[in-house]
Amino acid sequence: MSFDAEKEITKLWNNLHAAQADIGRTYYRWRRAALEIAGPDANPLDVGLKAAEVIGAELGKAALPRLNWLKGEETWLRSLAGGIALNWITQGAVVKVEPGENPFEMFIKWERCPWPSYAKQYGVKMEEDVLCCDKILQNILPDVNAFFNVNYKIETLKAIPRGQGVCLRRLYKDHS
Amino acid sequence: MGKILFEWDYSKYPGAKKYPHLFKPVDIGGLTIPNRIVYAATEDNLNSHDGFVTDADVAYIRNRARGVVGGICFMQGVYMDEARMGQGYVGQAACWDDKFIPGLKRLADAIHEEKAVAGFQLMDCGRVGAVEVEYGHGPSTVPQRLRIFRPMYEMSKAEIEEMVQQHIDTTRRGLEAGFDIIEISGIVGYLISNFISAYTNRRTDEYGGDIRGRMKVVVDIIKGLREVCGPDVPIGIRLCAEELLDDVRGNTPEESMETYKLSEEAGVDYISATAGWQESIVPVISRDVPQGSWLHLSKRAKEHVKIPIMMAYRLFDPKLPNDAIGKGELDIWKMCRPMIADPLMPKKVLEGREDDIRWCVACNLCLARLFRDAPMTCYINPLCAHEHDPRYTDPPKAEEEKNVMIVGAGPAGLECAYVAARRGHEVHIYDKRDVIGGTLNEASKAPYGDDELWTCIEYQKKQCEDAGVQFHLGTEVTGDLISEELPDSVVLATGPVYPTLEVPESVKPKLVNVLDVLSGDAQVGDNVIVWGNRKPGIGVALHLAKQGKKVTIVGKEKSAGFDINPSFKWRYLIYLRQNKVKAYNDSDIENIGEGELVVKTYDGYRFPLKFDTIVLTEREPNEGLKNVVQGEGIELFVIGDALVPRNLSSAVHDGYRIGTRI
Repeated sequence: MSFDAEKEITKLWNNLHAAQADIGRTYYRWRRAALEIAGPDANPLDVGLKAAEVIGAELGKAALPRLNWLKGEETWLRSLAGGIALNWITQGAVVKVEPGENPFEMFIKWERCPWPSYAKQYGVKMEEDVLCCDKILQNILPDVNAFFNVNYKIETLKAIPRGQGVCLRRLYKDHS
Repeated sequence: MGKILFEWDYSKYPGAKKYPHLFKPVDIGGLTIPNRIVYAATEDNLNSHDGFVTDADVAYIRNRARGVVGGICFMQGVYMDEARMGQGYVGQAACWDDKFIPGLKRLADAIHEEKAVAGFQLMDCGRVGAVEVEYGHGPSTVPQRLRIFRPMYEMSKAEIEEMVQQHIDTTRRGLEAGFDIIEISGIVGYLISNFISAYTNRRTDEYGGDIRGRMKVVVDIIKGLREVCGPDVPIGIRLCAEELLDDVRGNTPEESMETYKLSEEAGVDYISATAGWQESIVPVISRDVPQGSWLHLSKRAKEHVKIPIMMAYRLFDPKLPNDAIGKGELDIWKMCRPMIADPLMPKKVLEGREDDIRWCVACNLCLARLFRDAPMTCYINPLCAHEHDPRYTDPPKAEEEKNVMIVGAGPAGLECAYVAARRGHEVHIYDKRDVIGGTLNEASKAPYGDDELWTCIEYQKKQCEDAGVQFHLGTEVTGDLISEELPDSVVLATGPVYPTLEVPESVKPKLVNVLDVLSGDAQVGDNVIVWGNRKPGIGVALHLAKQGKKVTIVGKEKSAGFDINPSFKWRYLIYLRQNKVKAYNDSDIENIGEGELVVKTYDGYRFPLKFDTIVLTEREPNEGLKNVVQGEGIELFVIGDALVPRNLSSAVHDGYRIGTRI
């Protein structure tokens, strides 16, 4: 029985990275096509933000079957934050989730993310990358909030494309 | 004592002595019902897609009405809005206009002709409705967790009032059609339950807020119905005794009991208690839930209200409801699936013919089919939903009486045997085992309720004995035996063959067959690989995992349990996780060495797994004897797993069909 573990792992690893890179390339190819269809008067940022809105809403819907209130709100919130992080982790980002000092507050920290590199590669402004990411995250929450009858919000505190080293988002319960 | 619609005297029947509480009268509103048996309103998808009642549905209901022996038989719940937001099933009966009354009258008449009480149910499917339109309606726009359901649209106050009026108008039509009892469906995710539940009702107006607010629509409907029905026609409601929606912030059990009290105050004459929603993440009615598990809910309901309490939900064995009624924990035994599997089940209980009952195996195939827009089908009862076709349900005598040899006394062979024998053939059934049942002898030893599958064999044995089938157990059929007997027809129901894997000689003792493992005849090490990810693989994997063994499934199907119906499969996937059974799907075993093998995934990755034992569960059609039979020029049929390895249902349905054709 012959089995070369190093070879198998390398093959897996390479294919994973290739698949991850393809996600970025596919998005920016789609963006170019959308802009060509929209015509010269279209604002590229508007196109990106519209896509982000749809992506976010879809991620929110996909989160619903995975979230569970049985173990209480804190566990539920950790699971929501973890689910958000996982969406980026599968795309090649390094994301950590930490509880905040206040109750019902979580921080999601992107220590490494491939998306600013894709933006650069396709000549897209760094700020568009930040705003689109933010839009995705904002649009995850409406369905989640409606489904569980809660009011959570998310805000961007730091962003890699802004030269701040990490992307840092605060997910928190809005008591207002 | 209320009005008695049909006189019944059960005193001479053995079942009435054995189960005295089931066959004593009960008062519901202005009616006295002779017994405690109810066939619950059950969708069957047999009606036309525009809501008109069909011959198939009338025949289906007539059979169930015969089964309740004077009890109540409900037709399926009707939807009540022309816009079809309330329609949850493509073949659901409609009642939003008087034009539907003649069809509904056929159902009421059919029930009455069987001397049973005709029940009419109002069912707007709400959150799980709108099967033919883009949007469903409900109290609030709570998103759907399951994407198969439509997005929700929040009803205005005017629309809620219109919906209440629809209930009232539909009731008037039901009464005109001749029904005797009116029931509101307020369960499992349908519209009324959407109003009641804190999960789906976020309104802040008078139809929302606390449980009294959320129940306003129910109270309005009950009061409206009472005006139409008058004091004598009983009105009931199906309500969740527990929603089992804690994971999405549904009602508490206390709130659920409050709904019972408020319904009683509003004037209902009985409550039908249920548990869970379609969206609940815990099992409620599948085979893995022991029978009688939900009786504590009817007991709790009885402690909160004075009106009669009905309940279905895993009460198949008549002893359970009989005892519960005797103890004052239940009033009326309701059921649907047991009477899908055997429409005459309660009648047979009454007549002391329990060994003649085809018991439901709680597989939920019926539900899986309905949710996928298919007509009702029963896993275990091939006649279900064929009641309107007498040539299928009661096949004519054979034109030529034949000597039939059936090889294999498993579920396929037994089913075929008694059907063929009833048609006048001389049927001989052979099996190399000393016992009947085929591979179900072992398969019924898998955990999570698979022992209930064995009831199929007990039923078939009784039918074979009554039909005069001759058994030749412990006799292996060979080519010589066939040549010697020279039957007119041979039915091969031999079950599958289990191909082995190519392994070095030294590894061969580590390969064991799934049947030997389940029967306890094989030595199995602590680290087990199960080869095959269909139901036999899952069953044996769970059987071994429960013994504390480390079990890994490797199989070629894209997902584990590919052959299990979707309404049950999710349970198995959870049990695999709970028992720490890892499944590598869409994979092959590439190469096997001493205590280690290499798995190759569909996309070419390879990784090693260690093992002490490999359990073989893959199956192939059994071609043995086929050439011999054909060589002799004998009529040949191949059925069950011998034809294509599948499941118990396919075996039974194959057996029945061929039994009608020989």
